Amino acid sequence: MERLVIAEKGFDSRLLVGTGKFASPEVMAESLEAAGAEIVTVALRRVDIENENDDTLAAIDRSRYLLLPNTSGARDAEEAIRLAKLAHAATGINWVKLEVTPDPYYLLPDPIETLKAAEVLVKDGFVVLPYINADPILSKRLEDVGTATVMPLASPIGSNQGLKTRASLEIIIEQATVPVVVDAGLGLPSHAAEAMEMGADAVLVNTAIATAADPVAMGEAFKLAVEAGRTAFLSGPAAAKRKASASSPLTGFLRD
Amino acid sequence: MDVLKVNGVEKQFAEGEAPGTVSDLLDHLGVNAAMVVAEVDGRIVQREEFGRTKLSTGQTIELVRLMGGG
Repeated sequence: MERLVIAEKGFDSRLLVGTGKFASPEVMAESLEAAGAEIVTVALRRVDIENENDDTLAAIDRSRYLLLPNTSGARDAEEAIRLAKLAHAATGINWVKLEVTPDPYYLLPDPIETLKAAEVLVKDGFVVLPYINADPILSKRLEDVGTATVMPLASPIGSNQGLKTRASLEIIIEQATVPVVVDAGLGLPSHAAEAMEMGADAVLVNTAIATAADPVAMGEAFKLAVEAGRTAFLSGPAAAKRKASASSPLTGFLRD
Repeated sequence: MDVLKVNGVEKQFAEGEAPGTVSDLLDHLGVNAAMVVAEVDGRIVQREEFGRTKLSTGQTIELVRLMGGG
């Protein structure tokens, strides 16, 4: 299968996985492996200076996975740019999943602040993967300022509702000249497969894997679904019709 | 009394006993420097500069690190 290419870097996997909400670092590491992920998102937070024992990410083999720091928690462009620069200083990585979510209830991304931050970060040499609402015009505006992908949401983060934005996602996919990564809200492997069948270049999943009863098995299920959906897209799906169309011959029936 | 504001918390030290550098502060707090990045009064300090970056009373320090996230 042809590789996913983001900012001239090739990947065999089209499933990006988030590292939040896992019960333990060991379960996370096993789940990432089962999912076949190559790009994994991470967040940047204050060190807990009263109780300093967070070692979650020590379980990630950095020679194997590309860490994609996010700017979660940013409420405006300025905060997002600050987080991206801190993440760069912490990791040496200049890739960033740009998230600006001022609304704590639905965590919907702010399009204006996202575009502002993207413009600055691209100029500063960052590879920017912006998390956005499924807005085709915003997608084009972000491409114009030089983002490496667009990452439209399927439904609100962590909601597991699936493809609520399908009609807009179709337009984004049709118009995009950068990879489209459907991010947020994919709750089941079938949702991921559906996004891939539509022609999405990749999907990003966190909650649906991390909070499953068996995250490792669910990671594998998402991997298979993404591969199936991609293969189906490349196979040229047959058209849907309103009426039946017999699959068996309509001659030679055993009747007079 | 010397005061450093660390991650939003005011830490008080007897005069002359506050950690002198970012490295000293991490040691004092028992924080492993791996994957940690610091900001002193809004300026990012790279890990390799921790030992050379002097702190003085009244400064605001942010210590951040990567953790699990989506």
